[in-house]
Amino acid sequence: MTISIMVNTVERSFDVQPDEVLLDVLRREGYLEVKGSCHSGDCGACTVLLDGRPVASCLILSAKADGHAVTTVRGIGDQAHPHIIQESFVKNGAVQCGYCVPGAITSAKALLDENPDPTEEEIRLAMDSNYCRCTGYEQQVEAVLDAAAQLRKGDKK
Amino acid sequence: MGRITQYYHATSLEDAFAKAKQLGSAAAYVGGGVELVLRRNPEITTLIDLSRCGLDYVTAVGEGIEIGSQTTLTTINHSADIRQYAGGSLAWWAGHIAHNNLRDMITVGGVIGRNQPWNDVVPHLVALGAQVRLFDGAERITPLSAYIEAKQPGAIIKGVLLPAGNAGSRGFLWRFTRTQQDISTLHFSALVSYDGKVMTAANLVFAGRPGHAALYPRLSEELVGKSLSHETFARVAEMAPDLVEVGTDLRATGEFRRELVRAAILNLEEHMTGVAQ
Ligand SMILES: Cc1cc2nc3c(=O)[nH]c(=O)nc-3n(C[C@H](O)[C@H](O)[C@H](O)COP(=O)(O)OP(=O)(O)OC[C@H]3O[C@@H](n4cnc5c(N)ncnc54)[C@H](O)[C@@H]3O)c2cc1C
Ligand code: FES
Ligand code: FES
Repeated sequence: MTISIMVNTVERSFDVQPDEVLLDVLRREGYLEVKGSCHSGDCGACTVLLDGRPVASCLILSAKADGHAVTTVRGIGDQAHPHIIQESFVKNGAVQCGYCVPGAITSAKALLDENPDPTEEEIRLAMDSNYCRCTGYEQQVEAVLDAAAQLRKGDKK
Repeated sequence: MGRITQYYHATSLEDAFAKAKQLGSAAAYVGGGVELVLRRNPEITTLIDLSRCGLDYVTAVGEGIEIGSQTTLTTINHSADIRQYAGGSLAWWAGHIAHNNLRDMITVGGVIGRNQPWNDVVPHLVALGAQVRLFDGAERITPLSAYIEAKQPGAIIKGVLLPAGNAGSRGFLWRFTRTQQDISTLHFSALVSYDGKVMTAANLVFAGRPGHAALYPRLSEELVGKSLSHETFARVAEMAPDLVEVGTDLRATGEFRRELVRAAILNLEEHMTGVAQ
């Protein structure tokens, strides 16, 4: 079957199997910034935004995304034009091996779009889907608090 | 991968039901799809998507509320009406169970359709006295507790009705998990109505026993007409471990679960005595 998805603001059409999950389709089509790890909804590495809301792309059927907008971490910002959340992750030591980071930044983006001034508890809840084996989470929480403060000041984006 | 050969976007309930009837056990309705992807059933060849059937809604009906079956946990968590209902217990828990990137996927129809023994949403809805609106060619309303006892294969869960009359009641949920992200080793949900310091009605539900959600009317009887006092709850905490059928599985022994049953009632006491102050 053919589905149409707006990926990072570009309209795309993909031929997919009826039971194929979004993660597999995105990676096959070259969106390698979307990571897979557990493939069972546990780790959050595969998180993307579907119409602005965070979803586990390893468990969402690609057919369900037909007609919707998907944002990957590269749609949030890239090396040439990093988003303030991405800069803040680097600045606060919230990146070590980096495997969890695309998913973590995507969850953080969804949170800050909805709630520009989150408490630490709200950040932990919004990122409860994102496992990180390296940083111990503290730096990630600090990075989101820092990014939120800068975004509220209107620094960038 | 399973053997799914067709993904069908139904355009109405009638359309979805006709397709399901034609295919029998080879078809499955899709809520969030989480469970269908995780536990692929090789018998199923066609997925029937309900997202274009207008089932994503939360509507106030008198003092009660109807939640469309495609409504996700996040939408339930954000709903102002559900936050007001029975002290807001359903809304709060809908924002805390599973994970953030799944709460935007998991639908209320999908949790009822699957109803795992350790599921946290179904027992809480049963405690709140929920009914389900089914569609199988015509609409019918049936108590959720009856629906999960004897499922209606092929019937579409159209919505869930939270009854009127729970304005002065308090919903309560307590679950024991081995880690914050784990599923419940024991789930306890309750709805308690009270007038001043006297309890006037109560629904007590245990799940993850490891059996499915079950109501315990005998325990409820012990609360109704009694004061919100330590003595009342202490008596129920004493009786409950013998009344609630618990068992052993990989997560816990029956003996451990009996202790959890006692702890659940003591947590209810703390909640209710706090509310009544
Ligand atoms: C990592 C992880 C953590 C989790 N943690 C928790 C937790 O803490 N607590 C908890 O309670 N649950 C938890 N869950 C389980 C989750 O609640 C279930 O998987 C739920 O069934 C998913 O809902 P869905 O809408 O995606 O269901 P689907 O996969 O879409 O459907 C499930 C079943 O219901 C049927 N169905 C769907 N909609 C309808 C309808 N309208 N009418 C009739 N039948 C229908 C489907 O055919 C299927 O048989 C977790 C799941 C994962 C993956
Ligand atoms: S790969 Fe999707 S949650 Fe782990
Ligand atoms: S930085 Fe390595 S898993 Fe998070």
